[in-house]
Amino acid sequence: MSSQGTSTNNAKVLSGIRIVDFTWVRAGPWATRWLGALGAEVIKVEWPLREFGRGFGAQGTPPGIDPSLNSNGHFNDTNANKLSLSMNVRSPRGMEIIRNLISVSDVVVENYSAKVLENWGLGYEELKKLKPDIVYVSMSGFGHTGRDKHYTTFGPSAQALSGMTFASGLPGEQPAGWGWSYLDDTGGMYIAFNVLSAIYHRKMTGEGQHVDMGQMIMGATLNGSALLDITINGRSSEREGYPSGNRSHWPGSPMLNNYRDRTVAPHNTYRTKPEGYNDWCVIACFSDEEWRVLVELMGSPTWALDKKFDTVLGRLNNQEELDIGIESWTKTLEKYDVMQKCQESGVRCMPVQSNEDRAENDPQLRDRGMYQEVDHPVLGTWRLQNAPFKMHESPAVNYRHGPLIGQDNVEVIEGILGMTHEELRSGYDDGTFWPQELDKFPYQKEFLS
Amino acid sequence: MIVNQINDGPFSGVRILELADEKGHWCGKILGDLGADVIKIEPPGGEQTRTIGPFYDDEYHKERSLYFWHYNTSKRGVTLNLNTEDGRRIFKELSKTADVIIETFKPGHLDSLGVGYDVLKKDNKSLIFCSITPFGQSGPWRDFQTSDLLHLAAGGQMGSCGYDDIDGAPPIAPGGGQAWHMGSHYASMAIASALIYRADSGVGQYVDVSIHESCALTTEGAMSSWIYMGKTMIRQTGRHAGVAPSAPTQTLCKDGKYVNIQLIPMRLPPKQLETLANWMDQYGMADDLLDEKYKDTAVIQEMADHISETVRKFINNMTREDIYRGAQEMGFSWGAVRTHEELVTDGQLLDRGFWVDVEHPELGKTFSYPGSSAIWSSTKWRIGRRAPLIGEHNEQVYCDEMSMSKAEISMLSEINAI
Repeated sequence: MSSQGTSTNNAKVLSGIRIVDFTWVRAGPWATRWLGALGAEVIKVEWPLREFGRGFGAQGTPPGIDPSLNSNGHFNDTNANKLSLSMNVRSPRGMEIIRNLISVSDVVVENYSAKVLENWGLGYEELKKLKPDIVYVSMSGFGHTGRDKHYTTFGPSAQALSGMTFASGLPGEQPAGWGWSYLDDTGGMYIAFNVLSAIYHRKMTGEGQHVDMGQMIMGATLNGSALLDITINGRSSEREGYPSGNRSHWPGSPMLNNYRDRTVAPHNTYRTKPEGYNDWCVIACFSDEEWRVLVELMGSPTWALDKKFDTVLGRLNNQEELDIGIESWTKTLEKYDVMQKCQESGVRCMPVQSNEDRAENDPQLRDRGMYQEVDHPVLGTWRLQNAPFKMHESPAVNYRHGPLIGQDNVEVIEGILGMTHEELRSGYDDGTFWPQELDKFPYQKEFLS
Repeated sequence: MIVNQINDGPFSGVRILELADEKGHWCGKILGDLGADVIKIEPPGGEQTRTIGPFYDDEYHKERSLYFWHYNTSKRGVTLNLNTEDGRRIFKELSKTADVIIETFKPGHLDSLGVGYDVLKKDNKSLIFCSITPFGQSGPWRDFQTSDLLHLAAGGQMGSCGYDDIDGAPPIAPGGGQAWHMGSHYASMAIASALIYRADSGVGQYVDVSIHESCALTTEGAMSSWIYMGKTMIRQTGRHAGVAPSAPTQTLCKDGKYVNIQLIPMRLPPKQLETLANWMDQYGMADDLLDEKYKDTAVIQEMADHISETVRKFINNMTREDIYRGAQEMGFSWGAVRTHEELVTDGQLLDRGFWVDVEHPELGKTFSYPGSSAIWSSTKWRIGRRAPLIGEHNEQVYCDEMSMSKAEISMLSEINAI
C-alpha cells in the first residue's frame, strides 16, 4: 500500500508564509515550532534575559557544555525550525523596524498577557493598518475580553482553574494533577491549528482576522462529558469515588461513569518485575471474553476462576481482590513481557513508560522515527521530537535546531527588510539589536566585521 | 453544496466524511464546529460510542449518551454498512464528493474492504485521507489493542503524574479521555495543513496519525530532561514532575479547597516578597517578612524555608477565592483548583459567551454545552447542531444530495446496507 511509504517530497504547506513570533516560554514557542516544520518562515523576536525559555544558562544545559543563552536543550527542541531576531521592541527604533517587518509578514503570534501587544501599539486594529489581511493569533491566560482578562496563568494554574487538575488523582486524596504543563503543550497545538485555520480562511476569502484564545478557557473544553453531566443531568463531580484514580470506577462508590471510558474491570495499574520506580503496567478488559483470555494467560489461578469474577459487575464489585490477584501475576514478569504476552492474545495491556523508556526502549517510536538527530552549533548533535503525523505529500520536517539568539539578524534586517549594513551596525551601536552592556557572541561579532 | 445554512467558519465549504469512534470523533467535532460539513458515517444501529455513559437522566439508550452528544456536535449522521457490496458502492460514490475522510479503523481494514485510500483517490485526486490509529500504519506495535488508560501509560503521561506523599501510590492517568484528545488535536493540525497544501497545489494526500506518538509528544520537558540531561522524572503531588524534588505548590485553604501557587522562595525577588508581605500584613500574618533584611536576595535564599512556611500558614487561614483573586490582583499567576461545576458559574466564561445553547428538538429541550476556547473576529465558531440521531440524515444525503429514491433507501435498509 503506497500510503505506508515515507514521502521523499519536500513540498511545504506554508511555503511563502512569514510569521512574526513574539512567543515566549513554552506554549507559544511550541506552536511556532510546528508552523516552522510545516514550512513557514518563523522569525522569533526576542531580547536576551527576557525569554525564560532559554533558561538563562545553567538550567537545561547538558553536562560538559558551558552554560549560555545558547546552551539550553529544552529550548532547542521547543524552538526548532525558526530564525532568531534579537531586537529591543521597547525602543522607538526597534518598534519601527518591527512595524516594517509586520507589514511584509502574514501572521503575528504571541502568548503574552492580555495588554502587552496593545501597550506596544500593536493591537489588532493597529496590526491591520500595517497589513490589512494579517492573521493575528494570541493566547493569554483568560483571553483579551471579559472581567478576568488581566489575570495571568502558567500551565499549572490554567490546569487548576479549568477543572483539569481536579480530574486527576485518587478519590479522597488531594488532586495528583498534571505532572507537566499539559495546557502549554496543548495550547501550543491549538495556536498552531488556529493559525492554520485562519490561513486557510484567508486563502479562501482574502480575509485576515484575530483569533483571541484563553489558556484556561481552552482547558475548560477538555473536560469531556463531565460538563454535560453537570449542565444536563445536574450531577456534581464533587462526589465519592471521583476521580477514580486509574480505575474506571472506585469500589464502594455509586456506580457512575467517570468520563474516561466504559465502566469495566479490570482497569488499573499493576506492579511488574523488578518493582522499581517505573516498573508498572496497565491492563484493561473491555469484555468478558478479554477477561477470560487474561485468566488463561495468568495460568488460570484458582482465585480468578471464582464465579464472582465472571461478569463485569462482579469484577467491578470485587476490584480490590481482582487487582491483588492480577498484580501477583504481573509481578512475576517485566513490564514489556506482560505487554507482549497480553497483546499477542488480544488483551489490552501497556507498560508505564518513563522518558528514558520512550527514548531508548520503545520499539514503536524507534521504528516510526519519532526522535531524529539534528545538529546544533553549540550543543552538537541531538535528537529532536518529530511530528506525530506523517503527511505523505507535504510532511512536517525539523529542518533546523533552535536558533542561537540573534543568529539571523543579518538575514532579517538586510535580507528581508533591505536595510544597509551600516544601518545594521548602528543598530548594535545604539542598543537596538543587542544590549550595549552585554558581551556579543562570536557569530555576532563576525557579522558586524 | 446544500446543508448547514449557518456555515461560515474557516472550514465552511469543506466536506468531511467521518468514520470514527472515540479515537477520532473529537477531530471531527473540532473541524465541524469551525464550519466543515461533517457527515458521520455509522454502521446500521449506530456507532458503538453511543453505548458509553453517562446517559441523559441516567437512562441507557443509544440516543441518550452524553458522551456521544459531547463529541459529535455540528455533524450530520448517516448509516452505512461497509461490510456489504451495496454499502461500499455508496461509500465510493459519497467519497467522490468529499474533501476529507477521517477514519479510525484498524490499519489496513478499509483496504481489505476495497475502499482504502489507494482506491478512493482514483476518482478523487484531491482527497485528503486521514487515518487516526493507536500506533500508526506501521511498526511492531501497529496491531496492538489500546484504551485511553493504555495510551497514557505508554505515552509517558503516567510517568510524570502521581503522588510523592502517599506511600506506594501508583503513577496516575489524568481523566477526561485525554489520549483521544491528543491524537485528534494533531490530526486536526495535519488536516488543516493538508487543506492549505491542496488549496495551493490541487493535490490531496494520505495522512497517518499515531495517537501513541501524539501522547509521547505531549509531556513538555520530560523528553528533553532525558535526552539532554540523562535524568528520569520524579512524580510529585499536584505539581510538575522534576529531575529533582521541588517544594509543594498545591496548598490547602481554610475552606478545604486547594490553590496552586507559583512561588519559588529561593528565587523570589525582594520587590515581590514585599508585595506578598504587605498583603499578608493586612491580615496580621506577615510574621517578620516586612523586615528590612529581606531586601537582600542572599537573606531571601537563606530564609527560603521560613518564607515558604509563613506563606503556607497564611494561605491555610484564608479562603481559596480570597487567595486566588488577591494573588492575581497583585500579579501572581496563581490558580484556584476548581471542580468541573465551578466552570458553569465562572464569570469570565460567561463574559466570553463560553456556554452555548444547543437545541434537541426531538426532546423539546435546549441544553447548555461547553463552547469555544477562542473568539474569532472574522469567522465563526458555533455548534451547528446537536449530535445526529442514528441515520438522521440518510434521506437528506442519499436522496436530496445523491439523487437516490426513497424506495431505494428503504430497500437498502431492508438488506442492511444502510
